[in-house]
Amino acid sequence: MVASLYRQRGLIAVLVGRDLKARYRGTFFGFLWSLLNPLMLLAVYTVVFTWVIPAPRQVVVPFPLFLFAGLLPWLFASGALLDAAVVLPDNGPLLKKVVCPPEVFPTVTLLSHLVHHLLALPILLAGMAVAAVLGLMSFSWTLLLLPLAVGLWVLAVGGAVLAVSALAVHFRDLKDLLHNVLNLVFFLTPIIYTPEMIPVPALRRVIEWSPLTPLVTLYRDVVLLGREPGPSLWLAGTGVALGSALLGTFVFSRLRETLAEAA
Amino acid sequence: MSGQPAVRVREVSKRYPLVSRRGRLHSFKGALLHGELWRQEREKEGFQALSGVSFEIARGETMGIIGPNGSGKSTLLKLIAGILQPTEGQVEVDGRVTALIELGAGFHPEISGRENALVNGMMLGLSRAEVLDRLPGIIEFAELGQFIDQPVKSYSSGMYVRLGFAVAVAVDPDVLIVDEILAVGDEVFAHRCLERIARLQRQGTAIVLVSHDLGLVEQLAHRALYLREGTAVLCGPAGAAVARYRSDVAATESAIVAAAGSDRRWGNGAVSLDSVELLDSHERPVRVLRGGEAASLRLLYTAHQPQEDFVFGVALHREGGTQVWGTNTDLDGWQPRRLAGTGEIRVRFPRLELAAGRYLVDAAVHTRAGLAFDYACEVLSFTVATAVPWPGCYAPAHDWEPNGPDLVRPSRDQREV
Repeated sequence: MVASLYRQRGLIAVLVGRDLKARYRGTFFGFLWSLLNPLMLLAVYTVVFTWVIPAPRQVVVPFPLFLFAGLLPWLFASGALLDAAVVLPDNGPLLKKVVCPPEVFPTVTLLSHLVHHLLALPILLAGMAVAAVLGLMSFSWTLLLLPLAVGLWVLAVGGAVLAVSALAVHFRDLKDLLHNVLNLVFFLTPIIYTPEMIPVPALRRVIEWSPLTPLVTLYRDVVLLGREPGPSLWLAGTGVALGSALLGTFVFSRLRETLAEAA
Repeated sequence: MSGQPAVRVREVSKRYPLVSRRGRLHSFKGALLHGELWRQEREKEGFQALSGVSFEIARGETMGIIGPNGSGKSTLLKLIAGILQPTEGQVEVDGRVTALIELGAGFHPEISGRENALVNGMMLGLSRAEVLDRLPGIIEFAELGQFIDQPVKSYSSGMYVRLGFAVAVAVDPDVLIVDEILAVGDEVFAHRCLERIARLQRQGTAIVLVSHDLGLVEQLAHRALYLREGTAVLCGPAGAAVARYRSDVAATESAIVAAAGSDRRWGNGAVSLDSVELLDSHERPVRVLRGGEAASLRLLYTAHQPQEDFVFGVALHREGGTQVWGTNTDLDGWQPRRLAGTGEIRVRFPRLELAAGRYLVDAAVHTRAGLAFDYACEVLSFTVATAVPWPGCYAPAHDWEPNGPDLVRPSRDQREV
């Protein structure tokens, strides 16, 4: 399957370009929306957690930035997964009428969401720069580890996207189920809080075992908090990423032959 | 038409699962563990779309696929295109396949025609550079002009289809699959599509053509496969397959005993052809004759029930399936009045101007609507011998007039053809 994707790399690149172009076609700001969306989000959090709700004291950096650094990879994952649930049925005419390897479509979904994620990153960095100028935080060398953290996210999300896209063809309920599962996982993952904020130790243990926890923690540690992740965190993150990638590839290749007929 | 066939279909069957909710839930686990979602159901229930179909298509050959709706034509196309996998049997395709099953499938409405052509071309197997290289030709063929840079959602349905066709044929496929698409677009564009297809035929592209337009199949296809309820009724010269299909349709419409018989001979038997012979100028039945000689085809018949609507027809073709000539009494303007008892009818050729080689004769008697009383394919074969063994079908009487070159006229017996 990897070989087939490599052979189709030209097509994938063109399709990702098409996705990005088609997304904001006809809107006034066009491509700027990729930057404006996260910027607005950051602005809203800043207002809310500066003047409306007092920010929790456990967080050492400005809380809006803390939230934002957790939300960015989460939005990448949830957006890609929600699209994955419909990508093959949406491209059904192509699968049925043109000879086209089905793995192309989930890959395009993954990559176009990755591009959006990478476009939102500068907003986070700009926010951090503002905070640093105000003396609220400082940049750390761990920022250089960011590509590794993003790489783990891509593996993890990629595997899930493959599995979801193939399963959603046969089990149409998956799309609705996914919304709810994603909601649950969102609150089970320390995105809008830190594990230390949880008063009940049993619940804290559940959160620590949530598969996304190491990935979110790792990402936020290197990009924002300036903490060097320990070996156990790296191990957990890599384990989740590789596990997801392998499982997703397995599920997809098992169902591959049935996709064109059922999509 | 030699060497490795471009498409080889061997004993292919295709069964579709009938989707049931129980089956889906039942096999969720099985799907992950065995990768076969419908294993249990496949044996119990399902719709048999094709059973045991076999044929080959040579390079440069065009195969028509005809039959009523639901006879498995589209399934067969998708199997050849590699979109579906056969349940049993094998489909082998040598070279690049392009399927014109749905023109413009996958065009994205929001982006321009140019960008869509690029994406579509790459999906059909070209590299980015190849598509860019062929883009001017595509735009010209599709006659889109400045519209090429407008979003596809603003296109008329004709423009949409033209762009789809232009991209698909620009791929220069080894095997082209055409499903009922020439019915779209205006007369001029349909004509250009046909021209383009004829060019591909000459380039050696194998073409699989599905159409309900039987005239088009006869015109374009060398051979045709007549499918009914997933089985091949007849695979042979396009004219014969089309005639067989027409006969079945006419039988269904008039609720008369349907045509029965083998794939070489069929009909309801109300009138039978008792013998078909080629006679030379001395009224002797022959199997070999010299090109340019006088000859006639004699059909002896018995009308078991008197008929008032009848047509006698003959057709000549080569062994490879090339149509040579054909006509019938109806086409030549003869009005049927009554046919009873036994008798004979002849087609006379003052000069049989055929090129050297072996020819096959089809003879038929049927109603004007096409219902076959007796349709006999390849009922007779004969060989034409000529002095000049040039390949082809036609050898007209001719002479040279050297007004300038100093040529010596051959002696009388050398010249005779």
